[in-house]
Amino acid sequence: MAREKSSKDNAQALFHSLRSAYAATPVNLKIIDLYVGFAVFTALIQVVYMATVGSFPFNSFLSGVLSCVGTAVLAVCLRIQVNKEFKDLPPERAFADFVLCNLVLHLVIMNFLG
Amino acid sequence: MGKLWVISIASISILLPFLCNAFSPESPTDRRLLVLLDDFAIKSSHSIYFNSLKSRGFDLEFKLADDPKIALQRYGQYLYDALILFCPSVERFGGSIDYAAIIDFVDSGHDLIIAADSNASDLIREVGNESGVEFDEDPSAMVIDHISYAVSETEGDHTLIASDDLIKSDVILGSKRIAAPILFRGIGHSLNPANNLVLKVLSASPSAYSANPKSKLSTPPTLIGSAISLVSIVQARNNARILITGTLSMFSNRFFRSGVQKAGSHTKHEKSGNEQFLTEISKWVFHERCHLKAVNVKHHKVGETDEPALYRINDELEYSVEIFEWSGTSWEPYVANDVQVQFYMMSPYVLKTMSHDKKGLYSTSFKVPDVYGVFQFKVEYQKLGYTSLSLSKQIPVRPYRHNEYERFIPAAYPYYGAAFSMMAGFFIFSFVHLYSK
Repeated sequence: MAREKSSKDNAQALFHSLRSAYAATPVNLKIIDLYVGFAVFTALIQVVYMATVGSFPFNSFLSGVLSCVGTAVLAVCLRIQVNKEFKDLPPERAFADFVLCNLVLHLVIMNFLG
Repeated sequence: MGKLWVISIASISILLPFLCNAFSPESPTDRRLLVLLDDFAIKSSHSIYFNSLKSRGFDLEFKLADDPKIALQRYGQYLYDALILFCPSVERFGGSIDYAAIIDFVDSGHDLIIAADSNASDLIREVGNESGVEFDEDPSAMVIDHISYAVSETEGDHTLIASDDLIKSDVILGSKRIAAPILFRGIGHSLNPANNLVLKVLSASPSAYSANPKSKLSTPPTLIGSAISLVSIVQARNNARILITGTLSMFSNRFFRSGVQKAGSHTKHEKSGNEQFLTEISKWVFHERCHLKAVNVKHHKVGETDEPALYRINDELEYSVEIFEWSGTSWEPYVANDVQVQFYMMSPYVLKTMSHDKKGLYSTSFKVPDVYGVFQFKVEYQKLGYTSLSLSKQIPVRPYRHNEYERFIPAAYPYYGAAFSMMAGFFIFSFVHLYSK
């Protein structure tokens, strides 16, 4: 009884500490997280659509999912590199890399979309 | 003067082949027939048959089978279009004809009539074997039928049989029904069941058997019943036609003129069916009938007229061919509704029956299958009694080019939307990221 109660308490305490820690992150990182969430959500919609309707233009499906996943990955890279604790690159350089990689990604997507 | 003479001789000799009135693809009926006989008495005892052939325009040449001057070909050219062997007892042919020469003659597309008889020699039996039939091995055997024999004044040994077991084919036997039975006296033969080129035209009744009429039977006969064929035909794959029968007397004037009454039936026919039967079947053998030719194979995309060098998958195309039938004097349009065309690559991907326009033009249209490779348009037409048509035209089929695929597929709109929304999101996000504090 006491064990259960304490594990439940532990879970709640963990959850609360995560929430407060997250509230303390800077706003621009939260914006990037929102962007990542949007990309992953779009990818999930596409997968559900393919599961119901079938994979007929498979190249279009792959292209759509790849654009979402690629966007999410590049945004995560940007988030890591823009963090104040990351000392390897200046944040401007990180953003420039992000933009260039996104341009290449979208070029590939447009070609593969059919 | 000498030069002029040489030139005129040369020009005449160039024109000579065209003056020959011979069997050619343009006029497939045979013209010149060589008739090999055992002795010239056959020429007069079978005169009705020979005269009927002459009256249809054939040039007959009668020679003895062992005449030392006979030849089927000279300097590589065949002298005759068809050969009639009315010499059942010949042991060796004279001149340059022998077993191999006869086989080559048939292999080059010429027709043959073989009449064996109860004293048939080994040579004639071998020619029959090569054509696909096997005569009874016993040299003194004849076909005996104690139930379907022909009634005659003298009590015979029932070797003269009256048969009306004919193949049911209007194209081989003519459209007029042969009412009277056909008189037959001779040896029977059997057909190899695996051979699908040889056909029984006149078969013996189920009560017939092949045995020596003069001696008592010690063992049951091997050749019995409807397996005995009295008259057979072969249409070879090169469209040579062969008629094989085990009797020479069936062609004789005596049998043509005599009346016939089948034992057990009350109808007495004034005239036997021999003349009508043999006339009709000789029309078939000598290509006066049922000879087809296919010309003008055309194919093109629906909507265009010229023939492309290759097609693309999922193209609509049209295929047409003209088929004519020789009527004895001219080419008439062939009318049938079972001519099929295949679009074939290792196996037929498309098999369609062609429709005709009553003037001999057969056509159909279909969609190229979704497979690329090198296909063939194949027409394989084999109908009983007709020459076989075997046409084949190769055509490659290519896959889609990179710009021939479908675009803007409605089923893929969510994916297009997702990709564009990602682009818009990236654009907006980069602004927000740069201009936020």
